[in-house]
Amino acid sequence: MALHQVMGRYAGRRRSNFIATALSIGAAAFGLTWLFLILTVLVIKGVGGLNLAVFTEMTPPPGGTGGLLNAIVGSLILTVLAVLFGTPLGILAGTYMAEYGRYAKLTMVVRFINDILLSAPSIVVGLFVYEIMVATMGHFSAWAGAVALAMLVIPVVVRTTEDMLLLVPNTLREASSALGLPRWIVIRDVAYRAARAGMITGVLLAVARITGETAPLLFTALNNQFFSWDFNAPMASLPVVIFQFALSPYEDWQQLAWTGALLITATVLGLSILARTLASKKVPL
Amino acid sequence: MDTHEHIVRSYEEELSALNNKIAKMGGLAEQVLGQSIDALEGRDPDLAAATIQQDEAIDELEKEIEEQAIVMIARRQPLAYDLRQIMAALRISTDLERIGDLGKNIAKRALAVVGEQQPKQLMLGLKHMGELALGQLKEVLDAYIERDADRALKVWYRDEDIDAMYNSLFRELLTYMMEDPRNIGLCTHLLFGAKNIERIGDHATNIAETVYFLVHGNTITDQRPKSDTTSSTPVPLRSAG
Amino acid sequence: MSLAIQTELKDKAATPAEGLVDKVTVRHLNFYYGQYRALADINVNLYLNKVTAFIGPSGCGKSTLLRIINRIYDLYPNQRADGEVLLDGANVLSPKQDLNLLRAKVGMVFQKPTPFPMTIYDNIAFGVRLYEQLSKADLDARVEDSLRRGAIWDEVKDKLDVSGLSLSGGQQQRLCIARTIAIRPEVILLDEPCSALDPISTAKIEELIDVLKRDYTIAIVTHNMQQAARTSDYTAFMYLGELVEFDNTTQIFTNPRMERTQDYITGRFG
Repeated sequence: MALHQVMGRYAGRRRSNFIATALSIGAAAFGLTWLFLILTVLVIKGVGGLNLAVFTEMTPPPGGTGGLLNAIVGSLILTVLAVLFGTPLGILAGTYMAEYGRYAKLTMVVRFINDILLSAPSIVVGLFVYEIMVATMGHFSAWAGAVALAMLVIPVVVRTTEDMLLLVPNTLREASSALGLPRWIVIRDVAYRAARAGMITGVLLAVARITGETAPLLFTALNNQFFSWDFNAPMASLPVVIFQFALSPYEDWQQLAWTGALLITATVLGLSILARTLASKKVPL
Repeated sequence: MDTHEHIVRSYEEELSALNNKIAKMGGLAEQVLGQSIDALEGRDPDLAAATIQQDEAIDELEKEIEEQAIVMIARRQPLAYDLRQIMAALRISTDLERIGDLGKNIAKRALAVVGEQQPKQLMLGLKHMGELALGQLKEVLDAYIERDADRALKVWYRDEDIDAMYNSLFRELLTYMMEDPRNIGLCTHLLFGAKNIERIGDHATNIAETVYFLVHGNTITDQRPKSDTTSSTPVPLRSAG
Repeated sequence: MSLAIQTELKDKAATPAEGLVDKVTVRHLNFYYGQYRALADINVNLYLNKVTAFIGPSGCGKSTLLRIINRIYDLYPNQRADGEVLLDGANVLSPKQDLNLLRAKVGMVFQKPTPFPMTIYDNIAFGVRLYEQLSKADLDARVEDSLRRGAIWDEVKDKLDVSGLSLSGGQQQRLCIARTIAIRPEVILLDEPCSALDPISTAKIEELIDVLKRDYTIAIVTHNMQQAARTSDYTAFMYLGELVEFDNTTQIFTNPRMERTQDYITGRFG
């Protein structure tokens, strides 16, 4: 090819490159703009109602003053319980799939079903738990809420555990087996340790997911106007309170709703950042 | 012996080059030997002088072969057959270089006796022995090129014949010298010439051993046929008159 | 090759020469990946306190053979072996064989260095703790002894609580060797231990092998012909799942009997 032909084609390629780059930057800017707008609105609307009372007083009746204490504590309780129920199950299932049953047919089936559950509509999960727990027990309860959230935690933990364990190179397992170590020690002391950062990240991501779930709680833990430690009774949670207060016509309730939304967003943001930093830096042994 | 070529072509080419150098060196050695015998028999001083010059080329080749062998050992780390080829090339080049020197010596002797009257019988004996040695050299070099261990083995056994001829020549020369002291000068040169030819035969036998080792990877187990008895030949007493 | 030579070679593998003791005897070994036969009728010996090298082109089955001796292939489905692999007379392929005990006797070092995600001390102590109840002082001594024998003590003695992953490639491999020795095996299998290492690390490990063979029986798989020639006492040449020739190293590398062996080691493969 003659030089001018080559240069001509090159110029054409540079043009396409420029157009594509411009389009991608434009799209990214578009998305980021909306994100920025959402955060800005949240902060502006929420910060106004942010004061000590939010963290010390219960949700008020319409027209009164109060805070979000019961909702915050309730959310914490439900989250902790959900993680306590869901994480061990998820990790053990993921371990089976990646270690003992890596080549088994059952693993393929479980993986398939797990992926479906991963994106299952949370309201369906809520209805399911309503049927098996709330209806049979005869009342709403924190237990039911925790179970519903746990069912959202499990698929995430299973997925990340299996993925992280599969990333551990087989040579490491072979090297430990070659020392004569029994299977479970190889898994516990070598595979888990190597996949630790990833597995912890998985749990954090699961927590981030359930922090904002409202629908399942509507049918299980319901809501509680007052502060309660009774797990057998309905329990308040931030998402449900926001749902209730935002739809109301009362201004103080609406302000509390915005503040609650800001709190949830800040929590999720914090958890995601924590998960990112854990995943990137080498976790010390 | 080798049915396939090296995957790395330059290795193959280097071995060929080594082979060719030996072949060339062998050809030169044959030439030097043949010419020196002709010079001695034909009393041709010009041929003798030319032959002496040719030995230089043989020495040059020995240096080249040695250098190439060392470089190949360092670079290629040769194993098995390749290793034996390179070791063989080194040993054969040494033998050929000695043959060249010995041939040069014969040519020098030819120059020394050029003026003298030479007895026909002795010269015929010397020529015959020289031709035998030349034949051995040609045969063993062919065996090397063909990588034919059996041919080499035959050369190895035939060294006996040269030794036998040398024995008889030795006695004849002694007799000649004792008959007429004026012959001593000539006969001494002829004796050294004959010794050189016998040594050339031994070197050809060395080459035969190397070829056998090259092909089979182990040395000849038989005892080397050594029938040169001149070192223990008693000097006959002076006969009357 | 003629049937006579074939039989002669097989017999030679079965009866050791004078002064040699059979540590591992492989007889009529076949190995299958699913339906595919990767090893065909292998007969070879590992002699006590000698180094046996396995050479051959990629895919010839030498790593596969090594992995049968400590039955590490058992970790994967669809792989099976039949025949006999005798360790001190007992067949390790038998289903009654305790795999963990077998692997305590037969250690293995892999091509890619695989330090555990633990401190250097724990890397060594980990395996030891499983088999023996040692006091802290005894365990310290064992760790030091293993690191010394692994020719790496001087480089790590001041940083035993540092992660094993922070070492260089050559050091990591020596750490893996030290870890294997720590549990006092009898046989050590080395699967291309130096292929990921620089020449100096390689030389250190070759020196290590020379010293180790006084106390252990060693098998090494290597792609590097010169390494096999340098380090081993016996060499087995394998091709396409078959054992072509097995003899002492000097013989194989100066005057091998089989033409295929010669073609391979001189780089003449057609």
